[in-house]
Amino acid sequence: MPDKVEFVTIFIDGEAYQVPKGANLVDVAKFYADNDIPVFCYHPKMSPVGMCRMCLVELGNSVDRQTNDIKYNADGKPEVMWFPKLQTACTTTVTHGMAVRTDTPKVTDARDDVIEFILTSHPLDCPICDKGGECPLQNLTMRHGAGVSRFDFDNKLHLDKHVPLGELIYLDRERCIQCARCTRFCDEVVGDPVLGFHERGRSLQIVTLSDPPFDTYFSGNTTDICPVGALTTADFRFGARPWELNEVPSLDPYGPEGANISLSTRLDRDSGGVTIIKRVMPRQNEYVNEIWISDKTRFGHHHSRAENRLSKPMVRREDGTLETVSWNEALNTIAEVLKKSAGSVGAVAGPMVSNEDLWELRQLVELTGGSKLGIWPATMTGAEAVAQVGVGTGTNFKDMGKGTTIVVVASDLEEEAPIWFLRTKQARDRGAKLMLLTARPTKLDKYAACILRHHHGETLNAVNNLIGAVLSSDGFTFEESRAEGFDTVKKAKYKGDEAGYDEAAKMITGAENVVVLVGHEGLTLAQHGDVMQSAANLLILTGHVGKPNNGLIPVWPGANTQGALDLGFSAEATADALSQSVVIVAGADPVGTDPAAKAFIASADFVIALSMFDTATTAIAKVILPRQSVPERDGTFTNGERRVQRFYTAQGLIGDTRPDWKVFSQLSNLIDPAVKVRLSAAAVMAEITKNVPRYAEMSYKNLARMEKQFPDVGGDDLYYGGTAYGNHGGLGVQWPVDAEAAGKKLTLKAVKSEKTAKRKGLVAVPVRRLYDRSPEFSASQMMHQRIPSAYAQLSRKDAEKLKVVEGDDITLVFGDGKVRVTAKVDGSTPEGVVLVPVNLTDNPVPTAPMAVEVEK
Amino acid sequence: MSIFKGLGTVVKHLLEDPVTISYPEVERPVRERFKGKHALKRYDNGLEKCIGCALCAAACPADAIWVEAAENTDEERYSPGERYAKTYEINMLRCIFCGYCEDACPTEAIVLEHEYRLSFTDRRDSIYTKEMLIDAPPDGVPETPQKVEPGAFDRAIPDMENPK
Ligand code: SF4
Ligand code: SF4
Ligand code: SF4
Ligand code: FES
Repeated sequence: MPDKVEFVTIFIDGEAYQVPKGANLVDVAKFYADNDIPVFCYHPKMSPVGMCRMCLVELGNSVDRQTNDIKYNADGKPEVMWFPKLQTACTTTVTHGMAVRTDTPKVTDARDDVIEFILTSHPLDCPICDKGGECPLQNLTMRHGAGVSRFDFDNKLHLDKHVPLGELIYLDRERCIQCARCTRFCDEVVGDPVLGFHERGRSLQIVTLSDPPFDTYFSGNTTDICPVGALTTADFRFGARPWELNEVPSLDPYGPEGANISLSTRLDRDSGGVTIIKRVMPRQNEYVNEIWISDKTRFGHHHSRAENRLSKPMVRREDGTLETVSWNEALNTIAEVLKKSAGSVGAVAGPMVSNEDLWELRQLVELTGGSKLGIWPATMTGAEAVAQVGVGTGTNFKDMGKGTTIVVVASDLEEEAPIWFLRTKQARDRGAKLMLLTARPTKLDKYAACILRHHHGETLNAVNNLIGAVLSSDGFTFEESRAEGFDTVKKAKYKGDEAGYDEAAKMITGAENVVVLVGHEGLTLAQHGDVMQSAANLLILTGHVGKPNNGLIPVWPGANTQGALDLGFSAEATADALSQSVVIVAGADPVGTDPAAKAFIASADFVIALSMFDTATTAIAKVILPRQSVPERDGTFTNGERRVQRFYTAQGLIGDTRPDWKVFSQLSNLIDPAVKVRLSAAAVMAEITKNVPRYAEMSYKNLARMEKQFPDVGGDDLYYGGTAYGNHGGLGVQWPVDAEAAGKKLTLKAVKSEKTAKRKGLVAVPVRRLYDRSPEFSASQMMHQRIPSAYAQLSRKDAEKLKVVEGDDITLVFGDGKVRVTAKVDGSTPEGVVLVPVNLTDNPVPTAPMAVEVEK
Repeated sequence: MSIFKGLGTVVKHLLEDPVTISYPEVERPVRERFKGKHALKRYDNGLEKCIGCALCAAACPADAIWVEAAENTDEERYSPGERYAKTYEINMLRCIFCGYCEDACPTEAIVLEHEYRLSFTDRRDSIYTKEMLIDAPPDGVPETPQKVEPGAFDRAIPDMENPK
């Protein structure tokens, strides 16, 4: 519940409560009086529609019209004027002196009748229904249903069962109780109106309005909020009964948002009797993902037990053949090489490598005398900017609304961080203003109050010009005590008079809160660093730092990029790390994803690859060690808002694998027996808390801490918020940035605008798509239809010049690589660029913008 | 006196028929409601009654039943409706023959019958699989999976009786 509101007195079943004025009666009764008013169509995350009539209550008023005071009778009870008819609680907002009765026979009778009425059109096939056991309709029937039926079975309405709404979600038309939660979720929450009602009355049916059907990245969430088993996922379909499942808290391994999930696990005959993941459900964390997850998170879990997973250590013999060896032999081989490496050791860690792994990896590299610690993909940087002005602790998109401006820079948020897209969109619906500094139209455009369009690669100038406009805006003053380096900004002489920038500047200076999300589309690594710094400057200059809902959020490429930066890894070091004589590559495939990486790594004598799958990098590795997937182990990730969160062991081990931290720890011990082998991930984290000041508070115990959240989901009262799961794994802890430390002076480091070079030829701009062909995600067979085939996107003009039409096969030639893709031609692509999605092709495509030629 | 009373009893029993029978050549019939080894039943058309709902497993106080379900198609139909039991196992060492599974079943698919000769020399053999439990299809009716007419069997649970 938001604070800063006026409280009023209401009476629920005779008891007086102080509740926020204007709040929803169902929410209030639940939160303050622990009174569960039964609902079907109402959902606390969506506006009420009053469709199902389940929430009927007796309403009354005890306020004296003249004095506006509550009238009390002699024995201190309020004197209530009751409305003659029952009212729906879900469409009622509380007012001063309101009285509610939820336990009278009149109310109970009405509820019983509504249930009986709903069941007249319901098939009652609970035994084969995936929702059975956690179904709001089942629960309410148990409480309010009549013991016997008065209904003739021949009158039952039979509609289609098992209707595919796309290949991910199935609809059972009979089971639908027409609550419109699913359609409202798509329309209101996501903004993809892809579901709708068809027909009327009893035959009212849900249909999908899009092609491909149910075309949204969030379709799985409708199965959670559907109060019956009408919507179920193809993934879980008949996988188990809910009561047989074990819920284990975990994290989304893909995105920078750090979405909290719950892994439903169960023993499985087909997998040889090990415990495996049967489905992924959202886990409530109101700070991070509320109760929503993207379909990538929900359905992309199959890599943890994919058939082609590496399961044993392998060593490459002199003649180039790979031989399966024991862990002892593999580790001894590596230890020998590391001992002789004379400090020429580099390490590169991928996006799904946990903090514990990273820490032990760093210890190992430093033990051998090496220092080059890189990340993969090496596309984004800016640890310093984040350390100064990252979003304040306690930031929550849910609290953003009127008075907040959200700025999205160089990012296609829906593709890169769907949860942030969703929450940004919702903040905008609550009154926040959205400003885009992007080079091409994206889905966010239709919500934007202001779009500062610029060419790909010229984002820095756009941000600088915005600073210029801020500096020259009326009444701008800067408190010099807050930060040093203001003179550098003044000296930089940013243009302040570009068209449209005035308005934009006002949106920032006039806002109470400003959050800036920075991506890297169209930017080289160096440019991206400059943009991050400049965005930080903008925030410092306007004072939008050091408090909740203010500051910088980088749209990192991976789930733990932030953690890697925190622990001393960086994108700048990647090239160096790859060109050492011994290179350790953990959870990444540089050779297969970047044509430039091949050249670097070619100079390495000995590549050690820790991987879950065969990749182009394991193909050149001398030793291959099988990695464990996230569900097989304990660990922590740090999300883009610097929230360190835990994931727990959920799945049984597949193959003879070890967690990376253990491998590195054992290697350190082999090299120097004085180094103790760590025995658990918790022990590694304990080490981190002692050595990394920012992580001092991140002990596993603290990370597992919980607080009461609203709405109250996942309890015994499942009918309330659907089947999102409660949080039993902890909310995580954010580390505070410099701007939050009292008295700490920040530094402004002005970045000079770049001379805009004359644009000639075509530039390939790598873009990220949510669904890609990374070995992890493509292990989920069911998603294949949704993964786009390899393509490159051209503007109409360029296509005409090149005589290319939509659907042509073209070859992109760049640097020392080439790749064959299908041409897509559309009006949204700016002239002069070719948008090339990464991770969709067999051959690597550029990971930074570079000149490209298109051949037919 | 009492010594004769005692002798009398002995003599009486000497003249009676013996109650012991020569098992296994002779078998004593069980009572009608005897609960022995389970059988998975079929409909007359050969389709399995079991729909893989796992309610029996939920009801079982001994945790003896293991069910894994899968989806029927009209090409390969095991049972009416969308769902059938891909794996159905009962651990007879765990089972206490209480019959709760029978009570829980919504389709009367699992029935405790009169077979009581269960013995095994290995613990693993105590797990009775679906193949061991299921009745053979009626004469002249094909085994499951059957290829059936599309849409003919879309209800998992037989219609209930109308209210009187
Ligand atoms: S499908 Fe489910 S969520 Fe959608 S209207 Fe029907 S019952 Fe409600
Ligand atoms: S008879 Fe009782 S103990 Fe045996 S399987 Fe059935 S429910 Fe379980
Ligand atoms: S035997 Fe009956 S209760 Fe058990 S799974 Fe089959 S249908 Fe369900
Ligand atoms: S009418 Fe209030 S919950 Fe449906």
